[in-house]
Amino acid sequence: MDVLQIAILGILLGGVYALMATGLTMLYGVMRVINLAHAAFMIVGAYIAFVLFRDFGIDPLLSMVVTGPALFVVGVLLYQLLFKRIADNPRFTEMTVLLTFGLALAIEGILGSIFSNIYHSTEPSYATGTIDLGSVFIPTGQLYGFIASLVLLAALWAFLYYTRPGYAIRATMQDRAAAQIVGVNVDRISALAFGIGVGLAGVAGSLLSYLFTFFPGSHLQWIGLLLALIVVGGLGSLAGAFVGAIGLSLIAAFAIDQLGPEWSYLTFYVLLFVILLVRPQGLFGKAETI
Amino acid sequence: MADVAGTEPIGGAVERRRLPLSGRAAFLLVVMLALLAVPLLYPVLVPYSYVLQLMTGAFMWVAFASSWNIIGGYTGYISLGHNVFVAVGAYFSAALFVYADISPFATALGAGLVCAALGVGVGLITLRTRGDAFIIATIALMLIAQIGFDNWMWLGGSSGIAVPPLQMSEPALVKVPFYYAMLAVAVGAVYLSYRIRHSRFGLGLRAIAQDEVKAEAAGIDTRSYKVAAFALSAVFIGIGGALWSYSLFYLRPEIFLAIGVAADMVLMSIIGGRGTVAGPVIGALLIVGFNEWSVSEFGSSELNLTITGALLVGALLFFPGGIVGSLRARGKLPRILDWD
Repeated sequence: MDVLQIAILGILLGGVYALMATGLTMLYGVMRVINLAHAAFMIVGAYIAFVLFRDFGIDPLLSMVVTGPALFVVGVLLYQLLFKRIADNPRFTEMTVLLTFGLALAIEGILGSIFSNIYHSTEPSYATGTIDLGSVFIPTGQLYGFIASLVLLAALWAFLYYTRPGYAIRATMQDRAAAQIVGVNVDRISALAFGIGVGLAGVAGSLLSYLFTFFPGSHLQWIGLLLALIVVGGLGSLAGAFVGAIGLSLIAAFAIDQLGPEWSYLTFYVLLFVILLVRPQGLFGKAETI
Repeated sequence: MADVAGTEPIGGAVERRRLPLSGRAAFLLVVMLALLAVPLLYPVLVPYSYVLQLMTGAFMWVAFASSWNIIGGYTGYISLGHNVFVAVGAYFSAALFVYADISPFATALGAGLVCAALGVGVGLITLRTRGDAFIIATIALMLIAQIGFDNWMWLGGSSGIAVPPLQMSEPALVKVPFYYAMLAVAVGAVYLSYRIRHSRFGLGLRAIAQDEVKAEAAGIDTRSYKVAAFALSAVFIGIGGALWSYSLFYLRPEIFLAIGVAADMVLMSIIGGRGTVAGPVIGALLIVGFNEWSVSEFGSSELNLTITGALLVGALLFFPGGIVGSLRARGKLPRILDWD
């Protein structure tokens, strides 16, 4: 395939990956939580979008107004019911990994018993359309997904940089203790961040529902991919997640072109492995001090 | 008053030492003899094959959970990808059987050694990370193994490979060799776990789990210790995987590399008591029994995975020490279960 064509496909998907990864890296930034259930929440969002499309004919892009708020509430509840309890645990991050791992399994099982383990996807008319630009083409569905992701990320950016709760979230991400000292209610901010983080997984699920096929167990591949993105970008770095998403998506696009689609996920996992070993703090992260 | 309270346990210990065989050793001896005798009840035990298969499965999970506990419990490095060693052990023996006609009973030990060697290799790489980065690395390892086995056509790829079943002159007794072999694997794994727990090496591992920087400062070669623990934790998982594969007629990567397999090892260790010798054994028996009950009651369904996940969350929140840890904290742990 033409290099320009591969780059276009890589960048369009990369924008969607960035949206998917942002909630994950934000939770790590605010609370040092590695939410292994993030992708499972995305799949929940995808199934909500799927049901809305199948039973009510609601467009998957429109379904974001349902999936986002619904999973925002789930995120807040999750914080209040689970993570608040263990905030003082000396092995907090390890605990959160195991807890969210358990959550992901529970969600997979519930989705599996409702929808059975077959592939689903929503099929709006634009999902398979293309815009022909002569030597290259742009797939309409991916273009819409890319635009929707950028709009949402821009809105999040505006929220984080121009509102008081946004300041507070960023302050907590920079230094939780210091934020507390200057008067940030880190408990409420953590709940808000959980809501936004999981809510972002929900809207990303709406996009996933027509860009990819999915089944209850597919959250595992996604979490591997998203972890690769945020580890490359540096855990907890929002800008890093964005750059990591676009960068890895481009690399994967070229890898698929050269090696075939069955190896596309392998690119992410191997990169994840390599980055963890060579530069565990990621390209944008600060080295952890002991 | 304080004196009396202080001398009491010491006096108790002296008293116990006078017995020719401690209560705990006698208990274990009786259990072992009983387990060895079960297959001899051939005409009496009904349904014979079912009971043997159930117990063989329980032995396997005892071995898996006890092995996982060496790295995940003693050393404090949570691995969510230990089912990779099950798959490697299973496919190693199955490949030798299918292509070279060597019985998996003969190659199972080799499968364990291959897994140990792989453990050294993987451990040297992944154990450069710690904490959450290590957990992520083990997930990546499992995902890489999934893609690898799914596309390795010589071993059948994702569609799988047939393994000729064991033939015996008396078909009803076909479960017996598996029973004894897996019992040996379980005993071996628990014995290894016990020996590590009561060695300088095990002390070093627990120091690493407590505070790795201080352990290093105290002169422990943390890197070698961790890699050794990782490799040792793979041995009996590999052997168990090899025997498991022979008892199936058809191998597919997803049997071993399903997330539930990795999750069960973790869950059993945590429910029973991470970092204790008896904990993973109790956890494995409980979970195997519970799964058997829930499958017979509700049928095999996706909800089993939900139960696994919910139990994991519940145990972490309400019983972080597991059964053994919680009982010990209250001073109610029976001595026959206190192997630490």
